[in-house]
Amino acid sequence: MNDEQLNELFRTARAARPDTSRAEYGFETRLLAAIRENRRQPIPLAALAWRLMPVFAAIVVVAGVWSYSVQSEMSAETTLGTGDQAMFAGLSGGE
Amino acid sequence: MTAPTNEPSDQRLIESTLAGDDGAFATLVARHRRKVFGIAARFARNDAELQDICQDIFVKAYQKLKSFRGEAPFEHWVSRIAVRSCYDFLRATRHDRENIPLDGIELGTQPSDNVQHASELLHWAMAKLSNDERLVITLLELEERSVRETAELTGWSESNVKVRAFRARQALKKILEASHER
Repeated sequence: MNDEQLNELFRTARAARPDTSRAEYGFETRLLAAIRENRRQPIPLAALAWRLMPVFAAIVVVAGVWSYSVQSEMSAETTLGTGDQAMFAGLSGGE
Repeated sequence: MTAPTNEPSDQRLIESTLAGDDGAFATLVARHRRKVFGIAARFARNDAELQDICQDIFVKAYQKLKSFRGEAPFEHWVSRIAVRSCYDFLRATRHDRENIPLDGIELGTQPSDNVQHASELLHWAMAKLSNDERLVITLLELEERSVRETAELTGWSESNVKVRAFRARQALKKILEASHER
């Protein structure tokens, strides 16, 4: 099949414009009913989860900051403890 | 579509819809329905599918109406939604379409002899194409959209549209040649 034959096929198929009148009949009525039905339905869980995404993100950030600060505090305490041990060891003549 | 002067403009209908007037949306739909059905009819296999696709398109349009900024005419905006919805439909029904038999389509006659025959043969062959190929051929060759319009509707670059169209034509030729050899 060459390009000319293919173009001819397209030209002919274009002429067969699908008749949509049957499907269009009463379309607005059905559409509005579907929209009203959608409006009445509760928000699906997945959509709700997406809407709550900023809240989840904020919780993660706060937890991260809190975890980091707690870790820093513990690390400071550990360092202090090591210093005390060294001082005690020095006083008692140990290493 | 240009609205007659005594009828409210699309923008006015959109504002009324956003204010809660469903009747205004029904008028807007009635005004642009034919165009949307025309696009969707190239992809649907029967009236039920056509209604489902079109309902999906206008429900999405209704839900996204707040994001319509009026930079392009409403018709263009809803056409973009239509093309995306049709593409989603192609993806969802890919497996069904691959198994369409060639029975009932007479081969060996000249396509120009019979419009119905040409349409059915092309429909059958296009069902074998990938979703991208089918979409680009439908928009460029059947809907007679320009490369630029096709790029806008699909979100692809113009060069991408040209490349895909070339590949689609090559693939379609191969499929049709193979069908004639049978």
